[in-house]
Amino acid sequence: MIARWVALRIIQEMRRDRRTVAFFVLVPIAIMTLIYYAMLGDETARLGVVTRGLARMYDATLIRSLEETEDLVIVPLDIPDDLTDPAAIEQAIHKALGEGQAEGVLYMDEQLIVDRFAGRRGNLHVYVQGERPTLNAIILGGIAESMDDLANDMGVVIDASCSAFCANSVNIKPMELKKHYVYGSEDYRSVDYFLPVIPPFIIFFLTFIISAITFQRERVRGTLDRLMVAPMGFSQVVLGYIGGFFFFSVLQTVIVVGYVLALLSFPVSWGQIGAILFMALLMMLVALMMGLLASFLAHNEFQAVQFIPLVILPQVFLSDMIWDIRSFPAVLRGISWVLPMTHANQAMRGMILRDMRLWEAWPQILILTGFFLVTLFILMYAGRLHARRRS
Amino acid sequence: MLQVDRVTKQFGKLKALDELTLAVPEGQIFGLLGPNGAGKSTLIRIITGLLPPTSGTITLLGSKDPTDMEIRRQVGYMPQDAALYPGLTIAENVRFFGRIYGVPETVISQRMEEDLELVELTHRKDSVVETLSGGMVRRTMLLTALIHRPRFLILDEPTVGVDPELRLKFWDWLAQLVQRGSSILITTHHISEAVRCAKVVFLREGKRLEEGPPRELMARYGSQDLEEAFVKATSRKGGTP
Repeated sequence: MIARWVALRIIQEMRRDRRTVAFFVLVPIAIMTLIYYAMLGDETARLGVVTRGLARMYDATLIRSLEETEDLVIVPLDIPDDLTDPAAIEQAIHKALGEGQAEGVLYMDEQLIVDRFAGRRGNLHVYVQGERPTLNAIILGGIAESMDDLANDMGVVIDASCSAFCANSVNIKPMELKKHYVYGSEDYRSVDYFLPVIPPFIIFFLTFIISAITFQRERVRGTLDRLMVAPMGFSQVVLGYIGGFFFFSVLQTVIVVGYVLALLSFPVSWGQIGAILFMALLMMLVALMMGLLASFLAHNEFQAVQFIPLVILPQVFLSDMIWDIRSFPAVLRGISWVLPMTHANQAMRGMILRDMRLWEAWPQILILTGFFLVTLFILMYAGRLHARRRS
Repeated sequence: MLQVDRVTKQFGKLKALDELTLAVPEGQIFGLLGPNGAGKSTLIRIITGLLPPTSGTITLLGSKDPTDMEIRRQVGYMPQDAALYPGLTIAENVRFFGRIYGVPETVISQRMEEDLELVELTHRKDSVVETLSGGMVRRTMLLTALIHRPRFLILDEPTVGVDPELRLKFWDWLAQLVQRGSSILITTHHISEAVRCAKVVFLREGKRLEEGPPRELMARYGSQDLEEAFVKATSRKGGTP
């Protein structure tokens, strides 16, 4: 078996490449940890309960019943108790949901009690953030289950319109559940929640890979050395790469964003399309810089390729792309914050699902610009250090 | 033109260059000769500023800083590897290197025509580099190193992998370049071909064995061939040829 000599040669070569050995050992552990937490964490929806007037009497029953619902957590809201004006309460509920204090709010007003005792069905209001269909389902399902308990606790209300046929039966009228969507609508599909994060992922993934490999090729075939002995600084090489990739990346970004917007079940305004393209291009620049840096730090194409899972996979797991980041331990949530895709996803979802304006995404723009500048600085510094070592 | 003064380069325990001193005069082809591993490419990388010396100094065109932009502008470098963009044509590669050296477009076009004619590649100027033969790639490399008309041309093993007929032509072209006013530092392990240099240095294990005009060295060692002179110099001064 001559093949064994080929195998032996590969082992001998890899043994000397410590980075590759570390890659084989550490990367599976890291990926398995991420998969474990991603699969372990159940999605939980946070629900706030607001009751006013006589309806407060049923707080305890309602909350007890809701708490029995799996994956539903009752959370306090930052809404003052003395706020009684219905319009002001509704405004406060919208604000609480917009700020992310909860994914849903159950609002039970005094009118409900009045209606029930007058023999009417009465309205129970539920406000849902609406952008995440799975959480909507948990909230609405939990409330539906608790409504019977609540109706029982409120006493038996006989249907006034009941005919003689049912006169002897107890007919508890169900309450009317009024659903209010802060963002989106009942027709929202699960895929609509995932589509906005597709452009940051695809753009990051492709730009990172291509820039990392192309720059590495420049080094391996010796043209980088030729550029370094020409009358140009390392910064000119980096700027040249940004300029060269920018053209194709703009094209790619327009295609990806256009395709995703076409797949959405709702239209997006032209103004928002501009903001979305801006965010996507910013993400492309971050990916480009990270790709160039990875390439600069790698000694060969093999090592450059190893950066791909190292950089891409944590972002897939920890950027709130598919799995809810709240279900991960604090350390991984901390790591999530330093991943550019986390911020790009937040901005993209905000712009597409919540009609967020470009200026409202300033924290994400600031962070991504920071990523770009810091990576650029590290790359320039590493390049200059490299050049200084040579001179 | 170039002064190398007691340059040593150490890679861990390996001494690639050992207190090497040499001077390259203006308007000549100066040969750096030695077998593979003699330290020729290391010295070239130090001269171009791609590697720092462990000790010693390099003075190139009057400057001790090889990364000085003004110095770089006057130096042409042809590395040993096929350091070209394989997806571009010959003309596109030459134009790219001309541009990064700040040569005006019209001047590039004019020089390119002259140089393509010199290295007999005019008919292939629009061919993509990855479709070229090894010899054509070496000629294209030379073109890209010449386009900014450097005062000092550094050629690291320009004839490696080139057939004997083309090797002879290479030396003819280098002679023409000297006539045009360039000074050339060339390394080769095909020692015999360096007989056309004005002066050569025999290098072995990072040390200078001999220095002088090829004919003079051949006479000194009673050899008909420069390679034979090198072998004799090696055995006389220690080391295994």
